Amino acid sequence: MARLLQIFSFLSVLLRGGTLSFESLTIGGIVFLNFVARSANPQSEAINQICLRWIRRAAVALAVTQLAYILASTLILMQSADMNLADVSGANFVLAGVLAAASALTIAALAGARSSKSYPIMLFPAFLILLSSVMTSHAMARLEYRFPLAVVTALHQGATATWLGGLFYLLIAIPRCPDNRFARQLVARFSKFALISVAVLAAAGFTLGFAYLGSLDAIYGTSYGVMVATKAVLFGTLLVLGALNFQIARSPSGGAVIASLKRFGEAEIGIGITVILTAASLTSLPPAVDLRTDRVSTRQIVARLAPQLPRLASPSIEDLPRDIYAAEVKAFDAGALSSASFVPGHAGTRPNTPAEKSWSEYNHHWAGLIVLSIGLLAFLAQTKHFPWARNWPLLFLGLSLFLLLRSDPETWPLGPNGFWITLQDPEVLLHRIFSLLVIALAIFEWRVQTGRVATERARLIFPTLVAVASALLLTHSHSLGNIKEEVLAELSHAPLAVLGIVAGWSRWLELRLPSENKVRDRMARLWPTCLLLIGLLLLNYREM
Amino acid sequence: MRPSHGVLLVVCLFAVVAMFLMARSAMAHAILLESSPSINSTVAGPDIPIKLRFNVRIDATRSRLTLVKPDASTQSLAITKEGPADALASQAQGLPPGQYRIRWQVLASDGHITRGEIPFQVTQP
Repeated sequence: MARLLQIFSFLSVLLRGGTLSFESLTIGGIVFLNFVARSANPQSEAINQICLRWIRRAAVALAVTQLAYILASTLILMQSADMNLADVSGANFVLAGVLAAASALTIAALAGARSSKSYPIMLFPAFLILLSSVMTSHAMARLEYRFPLAVVTALHQGATATWLGGLFYLLIAIPRCPDNRFARQLVARFSKFALISVAVLAAAGFTLGFAYLGSLDAIYGTSYGVMVATKAVLFGTLLVLGALNFQIARSPSGGAVIASLKRFGEAEIGIGITVILTAASLTSLPPAVDLRTDRVSTRQIVARLAPQLPRLASPSIEDLPRDIYAAEVKAFDAGALSSASFVPGHAGTRPNTPAEKSWSEYNHHWAGLIVLSIGLLAFLAQTKHFPWARNWPLLFLGLSLFLLLRSDPETWPLGPNGFWITLQDPEVLLHRIFSLLVIALAIFEWRVQTGRVATERARLIFPTLVAVASALLLTHSHSLGNIKEEVLAELSHAPLAVLGIVAGWSRWLELRLPSENKVRDRMARLWPTCLLLIGLLLLNYREM
Repeated sequence: MRPSHGVLLVVCLFAVVAMFLMARSAMAHAILLESSPSINSTVAGPDIPIKLRFNVRIDATRSRLTLVKPDASTQSLAITKEGPADALASQAQGLPPGQYRIRWQVLASDGHITRGEIPFQVTQP
């Protein structure tokens, strides 16, 4: 039963991430169609049609994920709380989900009709989608300031959708512009909307941060605070890209201008999706203001982050618990789990033994040495004096083998648990997927660096996978309590994730920006620098 | 100018993979702030008033309280209808001395379920 609930729980949160992304695409598309595309030029029929096509796709995807989310959550509730379907059907999340799905299907029907009269009508169901999202937010669950917080949440989500969702439509609209002048007109109009959205987003984000963090020490002392800070840093990265876009849009005309705008737009969407998903992760954490005990102090952070020599000798595998699943059950029965509240399928966190901590530090330190070497070789390869340095991606194969062998010592090939348990435990499964991603990354990038493949698509594999793998770092499981060790782990993982995301998207921009754009050279130096910094941070990673 | 479908595909692929990977971390957010009896406390029996307070509004009609007795048998506890939006209240009656546990499960407004256990000891009045 616990395994079944874990799978359903995993599925329902997966769908939650999907609904937030499709919601942004649906609402952003409708705003773009009504206020940017139509107003730019009434004759922009090709653009209107492609927008309608993508709005319809996003709305259908939103309806499907919403209904699947309701189904998964309903099944969890029926199984775990011994309720029948009638009992569950009146729950707030069901009502909100049905409202969103019905609104999304209405939008899909209106978009399918392709009549210009339906464009403004779509704004109403778009508003209802936003309303349904707010119905299940932190704001509506609060006891105090419920209504003002709900309004601010709606503004925050609406502005996000207008900016990031709208940006997607700008990217698909630009190639369909009859000429560059028209494209620049479209970009200029969107820029105004983006600026207003960013201002609203920042103001609303600050207000929500103030309400849910409660104090400055919550920013570094709680998991919620660390995630908010990470989101704010990524938002800052988006602002830098937006500013570059804004600058380019006002520069003298030329083909390279539009190409540059599109490339920056791609990176903005990629980082934007990461921010939205970080936000999805945030909505599931208890706000820091509710957790006033057991916060991490600045003294503890300084003590943990103070530089020390890396651990290059591993403890014996015999020192590790032979069966972590049995250890977890034993800890649960003894009441020794670290969290008083947990979700079905996640019975809290068992504190790691000193041997497990040493094992993990050793893993991180060797990974740090490999990544540091990769960064150095990538720099050398750019100088053209060391052609052999271009083989740097092969070092990732060593990293993958290392991960496969050592990340989960309790399972195959080192531990007593067989290979198939890999598919049942999401934590182990994620590590295995990560190992495969690293192998794919090594092979593709080695072929690119050594000139064995020159297609655009193959070249983009490396930055995409680096960005995805870095987003993965933000997903380290959170407990529902303030567990100091977890907060400290997140404090070290968050900068790694941000650097990885910057590395991935700066390499993307180096490959995609036109050669006339001077930012391209800066991007070429930025990603190896990020890799060097990641290597150094990993070398100083500690769990005790 | 034709759109680059390949690149759009890569961006969409990124979104899907990232969504899959990010989903792991999202969990429920209704947490227990305080309870009576409190965790690992000793209370005088045989009748024990029970009150649990959470950090957010909860759906009391879709939440559950169960008493685990010293012999590991369980008993469903009726939740009081009236009460604050962030609390669950009940009453356990006629409890002989021994080790008990209250198992709670609440539904938050976003549809997320949270669970927990409150071990406590009952002594003679």
